[in-house]
Amino acid sequence: MIILGLSVCLVATVLFSLSVGAVSTPVKDVAVILLHKLGLFSSVESDSMHEVVMNNIRIPRILMTLLIGSSLGISGAALQGLFRNPLVEPSLIGVSGGSAAGVVMVIVFGASWGFATDGLLYNSLLPIVAFGGGLIATFLVLKLSNQMGRTNIAVLVLVGVAINALAGAVIGLAIFYADENQLRTFTFWTLGDLGGASWEKLIIAVPLLIFSSAALLLFSPALNALALGEAEAYHMGVDVERSKRIIIFLSALGVGVSVSLAGMIGFVGLVIPHLVRVLFNADNRLVLPASILGGSWLLIMADIVARTVVSPAELPIGVVTALIGAPFFIGLLMKAKLKNEL
Amino acid sequence: MYQATNISFRIRDKVILDDVNLTLQPAMFTAIVGPNGAGKSTLLKTLAYEHQHFQGDVVINGKPVQKYSPKELSMVRAVLPQNSQVQFAFSVEQIILLGRHAHRTTKAENEKVVNDVMTLTGITSFRERSYHTLSGGEKQRVQLARVLAQVWEETLYPRYILLDEPTSSLDIAQQQLIFSLARQVCERNIGVMAIVHDLNQAVQFADQLYFMRDGKIMAAGEAQSVFTKANIEETFCCRVNVYHDPCNNCPFIIPEREELTVTKNKIRLTIN
Repeated sequence: MIILGLSVCLVATVLFSLSVGAVSTPVKDVAVILLHKLGLFSSVESDSMHEVVMNNIRIPRILMTLLIGSSLGISGAALQGLFRNPLVEPSLIGVSGGSAAGVVMVIVFGASWGFATDGLLYNSLLPIVAFGGGLIATFLVLKLSNQMGRTNIAVLVLVGVAINALAGAVIGLAIFYADENQLRTFTFWTLGDLGGASWEKLIIAVPLLIFSSAALLLFSPALNALALGEAEAYHMGVDVERSKRIIIFLSALGVGVSVSLAGMIGFVGLVIPHLVRVLFNADNRLVLPASILGGSWLLIMADIVARTVVSPAELPIGVVTALIGAPFFIGLLMKAKLKNEL
Repeated sequence: MYQATNISFRIRDKVILDDVNLTLQPAMFTAIVGPNGAGKSTLLKTLAYEHQHFQGDVVINGKPVQKYSPKELSMVRAVLPQNSQVQFAFSVEQIILLGRHAHRTTKAENEKVVNDVMTLTGITSFRERSYHTLSGGEKQRVQLARVLAQVWEETLYPRYILLDEPTSSLDIAQQQLIFSLARQVCERNIGVMAIVHDLNQAVQFADQLYFMRDGKIMAAGEAQSVFTKANIEETFCCRVNVYHDPCNNCPFIIPEREELTVTKNKIRLTIN
């Protein structure tokens, strides 16, 4: 029921999102163009300019926003469940920082290392590097916070901070060598930028994002058991170490690829799972799919705001997610605190 | 049978378990008693195969514990650790359903198991409540219900539950309740092992009693016959007197009040 309601809500938002922008298209026309693409109602003619804008700019952008939002949402939910800590978000355990460091290295030094700086190869290289960077950082954090076969959460948070600082230093170092142009790309990129969507970039990224989110869904029952503790989950028949490794791998994949597409977008991974838990309940079989829907919904909403308030220019998406998300989140926390539900 | 033979376990050079032998029988309540730091919890974790780097053999129903997958293991033994914390706001019913995690049973079957264990533990009325809002005694009963849900169904092989101090920080009525439940569970061909701090309760409820100290078994056997002044004093380094309680028809102890001896860096009772 909840999932169905959220899905309807999301579809409506997507349609609305497709219609607004520098060239505004009525929702009716959006529907016509979409149906047209699906091979239905081919007799109905639509405005060709609208169709071009749809095909080349808006559809890829919204598709990308949708998938990034869902990846960030579910990765956040899975990591919070895994570490049994509601404060964990992908950036805290180093995924985002590691991915960002990897991407920045490629942006700045890519040309001098002999990579082509455009085209399909380059576009597929970025997600891979981002994923690799994220994975290395997360793996380091996890390894260093391991205490006699168990993850010590206090150490994990501290090591995460340290690894993030290290990634920040790598990024800083790269900036030092960056030229004017790269610097501009980079600034946009640290605040998140959904403007660079193209079909070319999406070819590699879409399957990876869908795969990581779908595979994470399979771990919802295990994450429920883990909510009682790692030992307890093991007693109840969960292969804890294996689940842990796979969940971290999939989260790093989702977040890493997202970072490579649109830069660092904070807050979605932290807030959305909480929102779902406070509004509905803590069962991960609900929290994970609902975080997919909620994450993409929040990001699309934020994108609508980012594209329209200063149109035809754009606000960085990260600024908007935080602007919308933070007050809302604080309000929810206060409400939950009163009901003693945290 | 749940059999541990010549179990030794050390962390670096520190010996935690030293050549321990122990057998749990189905449909029997086995209590482990001993002073703090005797290695009781470590023994329980080793039996549960949570500690996997030990010497010796643990064999459950004729099959070495190493040959079980985590899932198979969860079908024959369930564990109640000392303090389980639940991080997120799960409802009582959700917690108990977690005990069914590894089972390939239908929703209706799981529902029935959950109803049964809730009825047994007397928590049916807070099915929908958030675990966080429960009192200590209620939480413990919910955890016990979860553990029972894991091994509830009658099977061809005996099942076992391992309880690590299931009554710590509960009042006496709640303590008696938990132990009575554990006894009742034995009737389902489940072997129960519990680490118990209160010696009087141990002898009241247990069929078998193991005394542990410094990682060794000091004495073991049929509960009432090993519950002697000598065994208790030897294990706990504390002077006691054993009496007979006609009401429960079972022995009980009262520790003696002693002078303290303060030596260089130790404070202890004079018995040593």
